[in-house]
Amino acid sequence: MIEIVGVKTIGGVNNIGRFARFVWQSVIASLLSCARPHTYPLIWTQMNIIGVRSVPVVMITGAFVGMTLAVQAYDQLAGMGLEEHLGVLINISVVKELGPVLAAVMLAGRIGGALTAELGTMNVTEQIDAVRSMGTNPIRYLVAPRVLACLLLTPFLIIYADLMGIVGGYFVSVVQLGINSRAYWSFSAYGVELWDVAIGVIKGFFFGVAIAAISCYKGFTCKEGAHGVGQACTEAFVASFISILALDFALAVIFKSIYNTFWPLKSLV
Amino acid sequence: MKKDDKKNGTQAGNGDGIIVLKNVAKNFGTSVVLDNISLAIEKGKTTVVIGPSGCGKTVLIKHLIVLLRPSSGEVFFKGQRIDNLSEIELNKIRTHYGFLFQGGALFDSLSVTENILFPIRQHYEISDWKQAEELVKAKLAMVGLDGFQNYYPAKLSGGQRKRVALARAIALNPEVILYDEPTTGLDPIRADVINELILKLQRELGMTTVVVTHDMTSAYKVADRIIMLHNGKIIADGDADHIRDHPHPVVQQFINGQVSEEDLAVLRMSGAISQAQFLPRDFEQ
Repeated sequence: MIEIVGVKTIGGVNNIGRFARFVWQSVIASLLSCARPHTYPLIWTQMNIIGVRSVPVVMITGAFVGMTLAVQAYDQLAGMGLEEHLGVLINISVVKELGPVLAAVMLAGRIGGALTAELGTMNVTEQIDAVRSMGTNPIRYLVAPRVLACLLLTPFLIIYADLMGIVGGYFVSVVQLGINSRAYWSFSAYGVELWDVAIGVIKGFFFGVAIAAISCYKGFTCKEGAHGVGQACTEAFVASFISILALDFALAVIFKSIYNTFWPLKSLV
Repeated sequence: MKKDDKKNGTQAGNGDGIIVLKNVAKNFGTSVVLDNISLAIEKGKTTVVIGPSGCGKTVLIKHLIVLLRPSSGEVFFKGQRIDNLSEIELNKIRTHYGFLFQGGALFDSLSVTENILFPIRQHYEISDWKQAEELVKAKLAMVGLDGFQNYYPAKLSGGQRKRVALARAIALNPEVILYDEPTTGLDPIRADVINELILKLQRELGMTTVVVTHDMTSAYKVADRIIMLHNGKIIADGDADHIRDHPHPVVQQFINGQVSEEDLAVLRMSGAISQAQFLPRDFEQ
């Protein structure tokens, strides 16, 4: 029993160490790629696959988030006669939390799964070994462009999700539920600050790197066979999902501390 | 290893091997795949490593280029120890090698031209694309596939894929070329095409060649020297005639394709077939 616990603990620590090393190598390779113009075409290609093709699904996700929030929150606020404040509730929830998190979860499913499956298949068919055998660092060639594409484009995708969430929330609140449009927007403008929007967008950088690093790592370490690739995809999505939630919590705490520290200075400005 | 084998083979440490393994062992968990192997690969010759499936042939060939690092022991390339180098340092060494993987390992998303240019683009700046196209044409002509430049790997047959992979492996004009099961999965005619290509490249380019295979027809055809691996150890080492006449029963079983008495005893187990047939019949009812 103690032996089994010991073996599992050592295995877990080893895995964490290997992942940390992989992330470190990916960060170094990504920084070096920025300084090498001949790697830009690889980054552009990944930006197209990861970013541009994800725009429709992320926009749909954002729109439904905004619309659902409006439907759910209307009754509570209307019961207190505060239905005109619906815009604050929807927009602050969308830009600060739900837009970034749900857009990132959608990306983890769409992009994370594809990255893991692609790199996992390359791994089991020895294509990654082939890259190494030709004197090329596979992390620089395969991982860095994907990490950079996710890092740079996840914040933009979150902006699209936010935008559609705001539009969706407005549509249901004003057009369907009949809330006064002017009141809706004026309360929203009063309640939602640039800081709130910035928090959501900044989270995107962290979510993007987490999704790319986890998915690429799972692809690089996947076991042989169709089952191995399938299992790696599942593990990549679950790990990405949990990382997104954990990062969201950690960043919320950090941003709140920053806000509380600098908020008194705002009145002086 | 028998004393006679040492006379025929080239042992590690005698200084004339382009690649030398010294006391190399490789373990995966508790499983010992290579057990204290010492070996020198002679420059300009074709060395064939034979052995049953799962005996560690692929693990051995991957140690020659340090795609796998030994659990213990040392690997030398042209007198320089390479198993302890960083990946960045190894990348420079690996440009002296070409590696033909078992399934070809062509990049699915790249065309044949892009696959062949891949190693060149990684190490050189291509300024004259017309010259690059000429180079691809020449490499494809060497493997008899000129005209396939714009094909993607998915559109090629197994034999064609291996030939394109071979063209890619020789793109950087390597000094050493490693073949991992080059004829596996091919029909006898296409397998012979690959054998002829191995001989042609060796003859025309003078490369040091290492072939891992369990195809004895291929081994006899291309080998200057044959090494047999069994249970992670070298049990035979010499030229084709030496291997044919080798007294070790495992070598004779392998080269003649004979099943061992132990395996036969398992197959002859009484009642095994009737037991295996029991369940399907049961389901039919």
